[in-house]
Amino acid sequence: MTQPIQSVVIVGGGTSGWLTAGVIAARHQARIKAGAFSVALIESPNVPIIGVGEGTWPTLRTTLEKMGISETELFRQCDTAFKQGAKFARWTTGAEDDAYYHPLMLPQGFSQLNLVPHWLRNGNSHSFCDYVTPQGSLCDAGLSPKTITTPEYKAIANYAYHLDAGKFAPFLQRHCTEKLGVRHVLANVTSVNRVEEGRFAGDIRSVTTEQAGEIAADLFVDCSGFRSLLLGKTLGVPFKDCSDVLFCDAALAVQVPYDSPESPISSQTNSVAQSAGWIWDIGLPTRRGTGYVYSTRHQSDEDAREVLLNYIGRQHAHLPMRRIPIRPGHRETFWKHNCVAIGLAAGFLEPLESSAIVLTELSAKLIAEQMPANREVMGLIAARFNDVTGYRWARIIDFLKLHYVLTKRTDHKFWTDNVAPETVPGRLQNLLELWKYRSPWLFDEFDRLEEVFPAASYQYVLYGMGFRTEVEPLDIVGSQSMATKLFKENVAITRQMTAQLPKNRELLRKIRDHGMQPI
Amino acid sequence: MTRVALLDSQAHRTLRVQAEPSARYGDDRRFVPVGVNEFSLAVVHYPILLSKDAETGAFYCGVMLGFDDGENLFLEDGRNVYRPLNLQRGPFCTAGADIAIDLDHPRAGAPDGQALFDENGKPTDYLSSIVELLRNLRAGKEWTTVFIDTLMKLKLVAPLALDLAFDDGTRREVIGLYTIDQEALRALPDATVLDLFRRGYLQLIYLMIASLKQVPVLAQKKNSRLLR
Repeated sequence: MTQPIQSVVIVGGGTSGWLTAGVIAARHQARIKAGAFSVALIESPNVPIIGVGEGTWPTLRTTLEKMGISETELFRQCDTAFKQGAKFARWTTGAEDDAYYHPLMLPQGFSQLNLVPHWLRNGNSHSFCDYVTPQGSLCDAGLSPKTITTPEYKAIANYAYHLDAGKFAPFLQRHCTEKLGVRHVLANVTSVNRVEEGRFAGDIRSVTTEQAGEIAADLFVDCSGFRSLLLGKTLGVPFKDCSDVLFCDAALAVQVPYDSPESPISSQTNSVAQSAGWIWDIGLPTRRGTGYVYSTRHQSDEDAREVLLNYIGRQHAHLPMRRIPIRPGHRETFWKHNCVAIGLAAGFLEPLESSAIVLTELSAKLIAEQMPANREVMGLIAARFNDVTGYRWARIIDFLKLHYVLTKRTDHKFWTDNVAPETVPGRLQNLLELWKYRSPWLFDEFDRLEEVFPAASYQYVLYGMGFRTEVEPLDIVGSQSMATKLFKENVAITRQMTAQLPKNRELLRKIRDHGMQPI
Repeated sequence: MTRVALLDSQAHRTLRVQAEPSARYGDDRRFVPVGVNEFSLAVVHYPILLSKDAETGAFYCGVMLGFDDGENLFLEDGRNVYRPLNLQRGPFCTAGADIAIDLDHPRAGAPDGQALFDENGKPTDYLSSIVELLRNLRAGKEWTTVFIDTLMKLKLVAPLALDLAFDDGTRREVIGLYTIDQEALRALPDATVLDLFRRGYLQLIYLMIASLKQVPVLAQKKNSRLLR
C-alpha cells in the first residue's frame, strides 16, 4: 500500500505563496475538478506582506499565461509596466557616463554563432549590447516592447514586468480562488504537528490554526517568508549565510511620484551604483519605486539615507522610507521530509538581477511538474529538487558577484573589499580565468535546461563592464561572413523596431483603455 | 489637420464631389472595413477577413482588395463589382446626428463631380443616397461589433498566414489578417451553434469561410497584373 499525494497546503500568502498555489493548481486542474486533488493556502490575517521585488523575468509571462490569467488585467490591476532589461550605471568606473545594459533579448543569432570574438575584433565603434541587439536602443528611446495590435503575452522585443508587488499578490489570490479552485484559509498557524512514528516519522502531519482548527496535508509548502516557519523553525534546516560574498545587508525603500502624469516611464530597471551599494529605480505607471541596497558594515543607516536622498532629490525628503533588513543566503536544503520551501522562506539575495520571483516560478513549476505520485517516491523527487535548487542559488550568487568583481571603483572600501579574492566563490574565479581566453557561450557549462541566467547574460555583464577575452584571429575567419550578416541584420531590426514601437506610457494607456487581444 | 465641416446647404451649395471609383480619389487601399450587412454582397468578389485597428488593437471586419500597400486590384472593374460602403462614402462621415464632410479629401471640390444641393438648396439624389449609405454604415458598425465580440468570446478567430509565390519570382507574405477558426467552430456544443444560427451569426460565419475561396482568385488577379 502506498500513500498517495492528494493534498497540498501552502503556508503563507504573498507573491511566492500565491504564485506557487497558482502554478500547482493550474497544472493539476483536472484532478482538482474531479475532487481527487486539493490545494489550500493558509495566510495569517495580520502578517504584512514584505512586497519586495518589483522586477520580474520574461518567464513570468509563460507562468501567468499557463495559469489562465489575462495579461490586460495584470496591467490594469497591478500598476504594471514593461521591463526590457537592466541598466547598470556607474558600476565599472563610477564616472558620470559609465553605464551598460543587460537586455532581455538574446544576441542576434545566438544559437548559431558567438558574436563576442567578432565584436572584440571589429565592433569597437559600438557597445557590445548595441552590436548584438536592438534592445539597448529601444530602452534609450523609452520605447515599449510591443504595439497595441500585438496579442497578449506575445512580444516584438522580449520583455518582463515591473509591477506593484502589494497589488500582485491579491490579484493572484483572486484568480487562484475564483478560477483555479484554491482554498484560501485566513488563519494564524499556532503549532506544527509531526508524524511521530512509522516509515515517515518526522513528516509534517498537520498545522493547528487559531481560527480554522487543524489542517492536514500530504505535502506542505513553506512560503512563510523570512521566518521559514516549517522548514527552518520546525524541521530545523540550517541557514547558509553568504554575506562573505555579497555584502549588502539592508535596503531603504521609498516610492517617488513622477514630476508630471506625462513623465516618460523607463523601459528598464535602473541600477545606479553608489558609495556602499546601489540604488534601484523602477518606473511603474503611477510612481517610481526606488531603494538603496547597502552594506551596514561599510556605511551607517544615517549616511545611507543621505545617499538615497541625494539620488531622489531633497524635495522628496518628506516621503516615508522603509528599512528592509537583508540576510543574504539560503537554506542548506529546500525539501525535507514532506515539506518544501519557496520564496523568502528558502532564502533571499539582494534584488540586483530580480532573481526572487523567477526562482519562485522555477521552484513552483518543478514541484507542479514533478508532483510525487506517493509518499514513497517523494524522497527521490526531493533529492532532485534540492540538487537543482542548490545549483540555482549558487549560480545566482556567482552571477550577482560578477557585477561586483569586475568593478574598477576604488572610491570606497565597499568596492575594494568586493574584489578581494577570498570573497569570490571558487567556481566564479575559475570561470573568470577561463573567460580570459574563451568567452562564455553554448557548449559552456551553462547547459541546464532551465538555467536562471543563460550564457548570454554573462556576456552582457562581462563585456558591458569592460572585461576582455583574448581573440585568436584565425579562430574567427571561418565565421566572419556570418558575423557581418548578423550585425547588418541587427542594424536593420533596430531601425525597424525604433520606427514601429510606441512610447511606454502611450502603450500602457492604450492597454488600460482598450485592452490587448488574446490572439 | 484636415478640415472637416458639418454639411451646410448654404456653405456647400455649389460644392461638387467626385463619386467615381479611382485610385487618385483615395480608393487605393488594400484592406477596407465592411459591416456584417455588406457580407452577402462582398462575398461575391472579396475575401472577408478580420484585422486589428492600429490605434486600439480592436478587431474589425474588412475586405481584402490587394497585396501591396495602396493596391486595389478591383479598380479596373469599375462599377461591375460591389463597392464597399467605406469607399462609396468618399469624404462624408457622420458627426452625431449630422453629416460632416472632409474638405481636404481629394474627392471634395472636383469640378466634374456630383452636386450636393440643387438651385433651391434641396439635397440632390446623390446626397440622399449618401445619407442612406451613412445610416447603413452606422447600423452595420454596431452589429459588427457585437458579432466580433461573439466570435472572440467563443474563440472562433484565428490568424490567417498567407505566403504566396508569384510567377514573376516575387513573394508576398501577408500578416495581420484573421479568419474563422473552423476547427473551433466544429467543436462548438450544439446549444451554442443553435444560438448562433438564431442570431443570424452562423450565416455570417459561413460567408466569411466561403469568402476564403476569393483569396486564390485575388492572387490570380495579382499574378496576371505582375506578368503584364
